[in-house]
Amino acid sequence: MGEFSPGLEGVVAAETAVSEVDGANGRLIYRGGYLIEDLIPVTSYEEAAFLLWHGELPNEKELDALRQQMSRARRLKDSARKTLMAMEPSTDPMDVLRTVVSAQGASQALTKPTLDEAVALTAVFPTIVGAAYRRRQGKDPLQPRDDLGHAANLLWSLEGREPEPQKVHWVDTYLVLLADHGLNASTFAARVVASTGSDLTSCIVGAIAALKGPAHGGATLAARNMLDKIGSAENAERWLTDAHAKHERFSGFGHRVYRTYDPRAKILREMAKTAAPDLHRTAARTEEVALKILHDAHPERPNATNVDFWASVVLTGAGIPKELFTTIFATSRVSGWTAHVLESLSDLRIIRPASRWIGPEPGRKPLQLAKR
Amino acid sequence: MSGNSAYVPGLEGIIGAQTAISMVDGANGRLVYQGYVIADLAQEMSFEEVAFLLWEGRLPTRAELGALSAELASSRQLTQAATVALEALPADTDPMDVLRSVVSVQGVEHRLARPSRPLAIHATASFPTILATFHRKRMGLEPVKPRRDLGHAANYLYMMNGEESSPEIVRALNTYLVLLADHGMNASTFTARVIASTESDLTSCLVGAIGALKGPAHGGAPSAVIEQLEEIGAAPDAEAWMRAARNRKVKFMGFGHRIYRVYDPRAKILKEMCERMNPQFFALASKVEEIALTILHEEHPERPQSTNVEFYSAGVLQAIGLPKEFFSPTFAASRVAGWSAHVLEQAAHNRIIRPQSEYIGPEPRKPVPLAERG
Repeated sequence: MGEFSPGLEGVVAAETAVSEVDGANGRLIYRGGYLIEDLIPVTSYEEAAFLLWHGELPNEKELDALRQQMSRARRLKDSARKTLMAMEPSTDPMDVLRTVVSAQGASQALTKPTLDEAVALTAVFPTIVGAAYRRRQGKDPLQPRDDLGHAANLLWSLEGREPEPQKVHWVDTYLVLLADHGLNASTFAARVVASTGSDLTSCIVGAIAALKGPAHGGATLAARNMLDKIGSAENAERWLTDAHAKHERFSGFGHRVYRTYDPRAKILREMAKTAAPDLHRTAARTEEVALKILHDAHPERPNATNVDFWASVVLTGAGIPKELFTTIFATSRVSGWTAHVLESLSDLRIIRPASRWIGPEPGRKPLQLAKR
Repeated sequence: MSGNSAYVPGLEGIIGAQTAISMVDGANGRLVYQGYVIADLAQEMSFEEVAFLLWEGRLPTRAELGALSAELASSRQLTQAATVALEALPADTDPMDVLRSVVSVQGVEHRLARPSRPLAIHATASFPTILATFHRKRMGLEPVKPRRDLGHAANYLYMMNGEESSPEIVRALNTYLVLLADHGMNASTFTARVIASTESDLTSCLVGAIGALKGPAHGGAPSAVIEQLEEIGAAPDAEAWMRAARNRKVKFMGFGHRIYRVYDPRAKILKEMCERMNPQFFALASKVEEIALTILHEEHPERPQSTNVEFYSAGVLQAIGLPKEFFSPTFAASRVAGWSAHVLEQAAHNRIIRPQSEYIGPEPRKPVPLAERG
């Protein structure tokens, strides 16, 4: 047995064709071999999801069929709706999502994950996220709109008004950018659950559970919270210098994989200029100062703005409330999670690593209760 | 990106975590909880004592055990939201899906809380209530309120059946719950630790673990043991049926394990219990075991003896009176103690678990715009 690598860093745990993070060259490659920056100008979220599931971009007919299938799958089952309505409105939106996805996918008998289930699960996320948000606002959840695309329906589910095309574009771009990213913790969780022969809903519930962690999906909210504290471009240098002196981490910086600028962050940074001009000014100055402080402290480390930093700015510009950031991340990533699960079925083998025993020498005898 | 090491399917032999909670010593057929060999714990200890052991690393004093038992007993009620969710799920839903969903509602929070022992106690206390309430719903019966004066195993049976079970039955369920409470780095425990490694909450870890345990390659096989024995029918027909089945590549349920090289110590204890409690099951099962081991040995003489824990679990749980659909969920009601102990351990020494993947897709190329895709 080999050495213990904490966090399984450097351990190869799966073979995949769904996506590849080429950290050395700052490239994110989606299934089929497409670079993320090449996909963004030509694909909607539905096309990206089709690509992750099928390995090819859809033609017009295939895309149309997928859109229709997703439109039809947006409604909650009665039991899932009752579960949703039973939770207090102030419940953490990620807990609402985890629970309602579980109820929506509850079934009579164990079934193998299918593509149709993947489509249906992906389609229903905006309905749940929208309902969770509206209940927080003291409003009733809305019926999904069959005539809208995925990103537009998401905004409709939150706001209940005809979404502005520009906002739809920003949200759609975000959804494409975040749809998959190699073997991150939530995708790995989904693959471990899948490896036992479990159903697709169980895999996705496990992935939502992992994404909820601040060290994973919670990072976008943390970045926005930091920008809120900084408040203005003028305040960035003082705030960051103070924070650094107190050994506080800068949210939105640092990544285990990329050695150069994250290609998704680059696209979002550009988009942030129009999506949220004021916040962009604060964020741009924050980035400049933060990178300088980080470089001075650790000149050997690479440039480290991560996708969460600029995603927090673009989502803000699109009108997404910050308490929903992690659920919107999940709404994007569910297509990647399901693609990974479906891919893993072709060579299913239970993922069960070893552990190293660091407890007491085995064989000690337990004392009777009365003698303890 | 290529990893630093070669891809090992299933991470077999790769160390996924360091732990002091339990150790599976496959070569010597030992399962060790915090240094104690399972055979020394199984007959003597209550589930509550073993849960304390897994969480705290030592056995409780009488006062500590009293406090833990009281806290578990007072945490058995479901929240209003969980009650509504349980009621809303159709009566024919897979009990594992009910457990996954209702544990998820029961544990919702308004602000992220770090995993803690009080939260572990609350979660562990709720599993029997969820399962018993759903069992009664399936049977068209009113739910039974938990009883604070009963221990964990006794209360579970009381809530299932609406009456107290005999001490022998309670003791048997207690032993089952002790035996299954932890087992090294299995797939569901590893799932819980992966989720914990993102600094997520305890309920999220448990919900993920339930999802993993649901898989037939992990916790889903004990009911399959009963089903296969039903198909075989009677001991005299067993060999003919099994040889024919083998020719059709049918898997023998309840056999095979990646780790144990000798007889699983839990299976040994359950086998003895099964012989005493469920003689009818045992008569057929022991014959089937003998034939299965013979056939498996003929096919692969190099492989070790391999009756697994599920085989005789099925007979014990049947004798306890649990419906076979509740075998896996009852496994979960035991393992939740181990899962939560692992989550607490992971949270105390955390690093995000994020392995690498090996890309096997095509080389980078340019996408074609929609209008040009034939």
